Amino acid sequence: MNLFAINYQQSCLQPVKHGLQSGNLRINFNHGTTCLAFKYSNGIVVSVDSRASAGAYIASGTVKKVIEINPFLLGTMAGGAADCQFWQRVLSQECWLYELRISVAAASKLLANILYNYKGYGLSIGTMIVGWDKKGPGLYYVDDDGTRHSGNLFAVGSGSTYAYGVLDTCYRWDMTDDEALELGRRAIYHATYRDIGSGNSNNLYLVKPDGWKFIGNYDTANLHYQYNPVAAE
Amino acid sequence: HLSMANPMSYNGGCVMAMKGRNCVAIASDLRFGVQMQTISMEFDKVQQMGPRLFVGFPGLATDTQTVFQRMQFRKNLYELRENKSVRPQTLMNMISNLLYERRFGPYFVEPVVAGLDPISLEPYVATMDLIGCPMEPEDFVVSGTCTEQMFGMCETLWQPDMSPDELFECISQAMLNAFDRDAASGWGCHVYLIERDQVTVRALKARMD
Repeated sequence: MNLFAINYQQSCLQPVKHGLQSGNLRINFNHGTTCLAFKYSNGIVVSVDSRASAGAYIASGTVKKVIEINPFLLGTMAGGAADCQFWQRVLSQECWLYELRISVAAASKLLANILYNYKGYGLSIGTMIVGWDKKGPGLYYVDDDGTRHSGNLFAVGSGSTYAYGVLDTCYRWDMTDDEALELGRRAIYHATYRDIGSGNSNNLYLVKPDGWKFIGNYDTANLHYQYNPVAAE
Repeated sequence: HLSMANPMSYNGGCVMAMKGRNCVAIASDLRFGVQMQTISMEFDKVQQMGPRLFVGFPGLATDTQTVFQRMQFRKNLYELRENKSVRPQTLMNMISNLLYERRFGPYFVEPVVAGLDPISLEPYVATMDLIGCPMEPEDFVVSGTCTEQMFGMCETLWQPDMSPDELFECISQAMLNAFDRDAASGWGCHVYLIERDQVTVRALKARMD
């Protein structure tokens, strides 16, 4: 029995479900998050929370979970922060090399194919690629097992179920910009209220034919007291 | 989802208590959840056990309720037999005894006791581990899922001999800023300020995420 080989194997990083393990060291990736995006008549709303949790410890409340791939494309971050940031930067590089304005379908396919090559290696990425091209608004869900789905509405992360509850109730295709942004804000607020892995603040983006626009950062504690005003004594 | 995992962090929550000048304060967050989902924002882990005596049982919620109910029973019998109000030190010993009875299958709570002695009105705080090892420091005690954060806040903010108003401000800031760095605690806070002739309970406006 080659004890050296066994020790060596245990001392290497091995992928385990949602993380990495090497002997006693275990790195767990953060799935505590809520990210959502939906298309409507005038554009696409992207709304995310900003909490990073390491187990129950809140490591940061000011994480930027929307990655600006280029002025026309956005990507959201769920899963391992390093994985999302790194591979979406690789995607930015590929889109830049393409030189022409790349379609959302092509950009998301580029990322999905890169991730499929690393299937089983323990990457943790659940992202939405959002943009506007000549086919109109584009929204694709891409994840680390190589899935790539197009759709009108997605919510990703541990708080996604709470966000879906609000989105599915109030979503309509025909909305004004303000109604759509308010829906995005409310859905994230409800997810932060019930899910411990999501919280701190909401970052809102709006995607239009000429590119994305950052709408604002909203502290979810303030949102709570706005939506639930305390009765005056 | 995950099975039971760690019983001390399955429901989340935290309690702390501090001594002041002729007063004590005890505070609890209000979250009751199951792993990643928050179910109630009205689960106060602190209960009253005497006119100037409060206990908090953070940890597994079912044991929070059961240990409190069992302690109520023993304290009531004590007060009937002894014909006097139980002293905080004595109550602490009784809780310690109850927990050690279950040494090899413990209750998953780490209690906090805070109160004024019924006769001398001397301030008292204490905590213990889940099998009843007591700790009676001169300053403050913390217990729950964010003890590291609470220790940091208390060490920074606590000073000896604070007036009731100063003590209230100190414990409130310590609690809020500690559990805002813990995903499993928060969603509101109740602070109990125990003085010689009155007990005040206040609800803090907290982050609800």
